[in-house]
Amino acid sequence: MTRNSLQRCCVVLISLALINLGTPAVASAGIIGTQTVIEASQRDADLATIQAGLERAEVRQQFASLGVDANLVEARLATLTDAEVATLADRMEQMPAGGDLLAVIGVVFVILLILELVGVIDIFKKT
Amino acid sequence: MTARTAVLVLGALAAGCAHHSALIAPALIAPAQSAVELTHTPFFPQRDYQCGPAALATVLVASGVDVTADALVERVYLPGRKGSLQPELLAASRSFDRLPYVLAPELPALLSEVAAGHPVLVLQNYGLESVPFWHYAVVVGYDAAEDRVVLRSGTEERLEMSARRFLGTWDRAGRWALTVLEPDILPASAQRERFLEAAAALESTQRLDAAARAYGAALNRWPADSTAMLGIGNVRHASGDLPGAEAAYREVLRVDATHAVARNNLAQTLLDRGDASAALEEITTARATLSDPRLAPLLEQTEQSIRQAMAGPERPPQ
Repeated sequence: MTRNSLQRCCVVLISLALINLGTPAVASAGIIGTQTVIEASQRDADLATIQAGLERAEVRQQFASLGVDANLVEARLATLTDAEVATLADRMEQMPAGGDLLAVIGVVFVILLILELVGVIDIFKKT
Repeated sequence: MTARTAVLVLGALAAGCAHHSALIAPALIAPAQSAVELTHTPFFPQRDYQCGPAALATVLVASGVDVTADALVERVYLPGRKGSLQPELLAASRSFDRLPYVLAPELPALLSEVAAGHPVLVLQNYGLESVPFWHYAVVVGYDAAEDRVVLRSGTEERLEMSARRFLGTWDRAGRWALTVLEPDILPASAQRERFLEAAAALESTQRLDAAARAYGAALNRWPADSTAMLGIGNVRHASGDLPGAEAAYREVLRVDATHAVARNNLAQTLLDRGDASAALEEITTARATLSDPRLAPLLEQTEQSIRQAMAGPERPPQ
């Protein structure tokens, strides 16, 4: 029984360690990263590092809900900097998502056509 | 407001038929040639909504990475948005040890990169400001006489576009442009702070070798730059080279004795090397010279761990 609980304890500890792997540490304890120095020189706001943990959790959730394969979420998160995570956490829904040009041109054409028909614009007629 | 903006933008589009003065020629910086085309740039025709992976593969392969657009889909494509987000393009480039550099948002910078042989990944907006349609493409050429640019775009291997039309789509996308190069190659238009930011992003995402190469290139261009030197110290510390890290931090302090972050990192390195009393001396000086109060908690933490180390194992018996 003690052996069993020891195993369980190990599993829990390793799981926790793995969860933490998803969060790139600030270099190592005590060392202030170069990015922090650059950010401090640029921004008046609080430094991103403070909230980084919370924001990563939020982006993790958004990735999952936007259809990123569960096996890939951590790998994609790990390559993002804290500042990028902060941007994504803040405005992932509104950020430009480069997509399909053909669909784009089609929709633009339809919009122009509607504006033309409604009489707002007049670009299709040759005078 | 949106309807009015739409009418204005459409008016501007419609006006495109009229005669206009050249855009490319005045934006060329010597010694750029008047016409360039990077014909060897690979082409990955996009599938479905996946212009992000296709454009990224184009610049990655051009920089020597062996990858395909299909392989990048799982790294940068976001099914729920039917597209790819800019930060993920940067992040994926870093995972191949390349340095993604976001250009200054201006045509001369873009053209100078193409002239230097660097294809440029751009974000375009083919819609309106209020009804955007985003697209990634790669600028691989320009011709000042014709006032045109050449793109790898979507399913078109060689899309020629008038500079005016291209600039319209690029303007509405915030003039976002990216080079993806080996980390020790400086972009032709490299600005110190932008480049160091890109290098620091490699450091903070643990691409240590790539970060070291980028900092080295920065020091070649901007000798004795304290941020680049600090970065070299940080990379060495993270890879376990404590004497090397110490030397780099001391070099920063030789140039700028009030660099509190370098002194904090020096203190931590001395502690890691087992010299807690020297570490305490440095962190005390660092806290005294710190000018940015936002960093104060970090320095305080370092001091605490130094004091703990001093008190810890050899605590005298009570």
